[in-house]
Amino acid sequence: MPAIKLKSSNISNKKLTIEDLKAIKDSYKDPRAGGAKASILVCGGSACKARGSAKIQDALIGQLNDIEGDVSVYETGCNGFCNQSPVMTIYPDMTLYQAFKPDDVPSIVEEHFKKGQPAERFVYKDLKDKKSIPSRQDIPFFNLQSRRVLNKTGLIEPDDMDAYIYHGGYMALAKAVTEMKPQDVVKEIKDSGLRGRGGGGFPTGLKWEICRLRADDTKYVICNAGPISRSIVETDPHSIIEGMIIAGRAVGAKRGYIYVREPDNLFILRRLHTAIEKARACGFLGDDILGSGFDFSIDVAFGAGTFICGEETALIRSMEGKRGFPTPKPPFPAQSGLWGKPTIVDNAETFANVPLIISNGKQWFRSVGTPDSPGTKIFTLTGAVNLSGLIEIPMGMTFRQIVYEVGGGMRKKSVFKAVHIGGPTGGVIPESLLDTPITYEAIAAAGVIVGSGNLIVMDNNTCMVNEALNAMEFGHGESCGKCVPCRIGTKVMYDKLLEITSGRGKMEDLDMLADLATEVRRTSLCGLGQTSPIMVLTALKYFREEFESHINDKWCKAGKCTKLSTFVIESTTCTGCGSCARKCPQGAITGEKKKPHLIDQSMCVQCRSCFETCPFNSIRIEAGVAEEVDSW
Amino acid sequence: MEGSILIVDDSDIVVKSCEGILSPEGFLITGTTNSTDAIELIRNNDYDIVITDINMPGIDGFELIRQVNAVKPSVGIVVITGFASQKNIREILQLGIIDYISKPFSPHTLLETITKAMYLVKKIKAIAAEPATEPEAKKKTDALNNIINEYKATPGSLLRVLESAQDLIGYLPPSVQRFIANGLGIPVSEVYSVVSFYPYFTMKARGKHHIRVCVGNACVAKKSGQVMTRLKRNLNFNEDNLTADGKFSYETVRCLGACGFAPVVEIDYDTHGAVDPDKALDLLKDYH
Repeated sequence: MPAIKLKSSNISNKKLTIEDLKAIKDSYKDPRAGGAKASILVCGGSACKARGSAKIQDALIGQLNDIEGDVSVYETGCNGFCNQSPVMTIYPDMTLYQAFKPDDVPSIVEEHFKKGQPAERFVYKDLKDKKSIPSRQDIPFFNLQSRRVLNKTGLIEPDDMDAYIYHGGYMALAKAVTEMKPQDVVKEIKDSGLRGRGGGGFPTGLKWEICRLRADDTKYVICNAGPISRSIVETDPHSIIEGMIIAGRAVGAKRGYIYVREPDNLFILRRLHTAIEKARACGFLGDDILGSGFDFSIDVAFGAGTFICGEETALIRSMEGKRGFPTPKPPFPAQSGLWGKPTIVDNAETFANVPLIISNGKQWFRSVGTPDSPGTKIFTLTGAVNLSGLIEIPMGMTFRQIVYEVGGGMRKKSVFKAVHIGGPTGGVIPESLLDTPITYEAIAAAGVIVGSGNLIVMDNNTCMVNEALNAMEFGHGESCGKCVPCRIGTKVMYDKLLEITSGRGKMEDLDMLADLATEVRRTSLCGLGQTSPIMVLTALKYFREEFESHINDKWCKAGKCTKLSTFVIESTTCTGCGSCARKCPQGAITGEKKKPHLIDQSMCVQCRSCFETCPFNSIRIEAGVAEEVDSW
Repeated sequence: MEGSILIVDDSDIVVKSCEGILSPEGFLITGTTNSTDAIELIRNNDYDIVITDINMPGIDGFELIRQVNAVKPSVGIVVITGFASQKNIREILQLGIIDYISKPFSPHTLLETITKAMYLVKKIKAIAAEPATEPEAKKKTDALNNIINEYKATPGSLLRVLESAQDLIGYLPPSVQRFIANGLGIPVSEVYSVVSFYPYFTMKARGKHHIRVCVGNACVAKKSGQVMTRLKRNLNFNEDNLTADGKFSYETVRCLGACGFAPVVEIDYDTHGAVDPDKALDLLKDYH
């Protein structure tokens, strides 16, 4: 039997009843069980796509023709193991192959299917003892996580309705519309302690209750599917749709919108349109959902870029076709939102949690995490760690665990300096606070925010002054301009930081920066102004000595501020291997073979390539060459 | 003189007599005694001037003028009225008409007023068509009109109209913004305020392929700055971030939401992840 490439099967494209749901759940052949001989799930996440997952699928189809028995090939959403991409998992034995090229497919097929053993070269190796770990479930990156929202990602085709139903999909909806009253749904969410995953951490159930108690006839449910949520939309769109329908039922809304910030993000749009279409065809959207008499429809709404539109009131303004200016709260959108009607705005991750809570109950939801921050949180982990990617961890896990266990520790030659959390408006956590658990309270106490759920592990090559400068560049670039503190304060901070990074800083600037940052946080109207100075504040709080060395010694020890650093070759340890000279784009490094080399400072553009190349760590970063101070 | 004119008056005599005076002068005349039909006619035909009575059964002159202004703002309006009190005239003039004639009127007055009005309308149209300097915009006027008409009735659709317009033309120069403002019946300043606010909209022409380099903090930490430098050094962008041959243009964007495989470069609609600065130029090979 030749291998077949399976695209989403279309059993369910008629209006379904709850009995149909159960029947599909029972009859669906799980690819993981291996339809016949085996199933190959090729990751189709963005990272894997970039590394040729489409070619890999074609190569597999070609190679599998002479294998006996049915082998089917599926494309799944992102596995989150992006660092090791491309990734594919062969079921039923769950062998995970990673970091291979389409050309390696024949040898994998040969070893795995013909010889019946994992193809050693392409299985994951433990970072410490280099032992092979062929099975996906034994890989620490996966088994340290607590995958709930992401439990189906990497296992189902995102467009496959039957697979979603098989994994319990739309059963929560069935329960919410037939067995539960709207107030029970709100109560369940409220008791579960779910908090908005969009960064603010506002209790979701409370928001829903405010909205539910409004007497208005028209109410709206909006899912903010900004870049932060890209991963869920990409891998499991139906979980968001199901969550939104349940939310609509709970608060009494009949219309939902999925707000996509970039109107040209075709991949996301196509996926959403397909998912909405399928849900409509199956009768999960439209009139009289599952025979309950409840009507709900979902449309995709667009913004036109800009960060501020992640703020709920600004998002609503932009949906009304206006400039995305935030408005003061109260009134909260739950009281008066889109077109003045009560509106719930939650991000995709929050909605994706809802069906899980309704299906499994609040106790189950609270079984991981902490009492005040129950459940899990999705992060993108990147930076100087060995394993970057998309992770979902239980709340309460410490930063240290994330960096050193899930993330596999620091990269070679990298020394830990800080974790940056919260996206562009977030801040840093130093080594001394690495044992901080990830909960809304602990993170706020450390002076940072959960924000967009982006974790960047920074090593000793990071200059905190420079990071603060970048944050302020972002802050004043993205400020909508409505409030003075945010519009002008960020610009003033940017200018001050620019002076510090170019060697014209004064010590009194530091107090001024701290005061100004605190004021901007305190007096800005919306979340952007209230959070964008966080980087300045945390950098000053935890890395003040770095600012001082920039100002007093004119020395950027990380070598990032070009005017405050010079790259020098340590003559005692330089072996004269010449690797730096070959890398130098300016030809500024000269020297005889096997003798210490020299950098011509007048030619050096401080591109760092020598510093990164030197195998002997012989490049030192020294203070900048004193510059003539403008005397006017 | 050339030009097409619609005459709306509930009295058949007025319609007929106007027609008698104007058609020998070369004007193309359509007449109707029903104001509801008139709106339909205006919607489906391109008249230069509409001559209308004020007191009519059903839709009156005021309402008709309002609707003409909403549907075809470029049509010139001349009012014929028998109730020429000062207050009435002021109200009529406030609706933005070109001129008015009081009943009874002499053929000479009618001809003179209409000739003057036609001259004005033609002149205004010539100015409005000024984007002749931006030929691509002119060529696509019809398509743009379709977009405007599609979304016109939907509240809050300005962003959608602008998105579709940018899709069609590639960018949103002032002439297009003016056109959209006219079509939607909103102030140009409102259109401009939205265009200038959202980074997705551009008022400058873009290259055949548009490169977006992410400068979110994850990407910067993974050297997207170097990717940028590499591209800039090799492609020689001008001050509008466009290459001399118009093939590539670039912009920096803040976070494409793919931090897991930073640094990210988007070319047209393709996302390229984990871009090695040294190999950044290789990405361009597939874009001709």
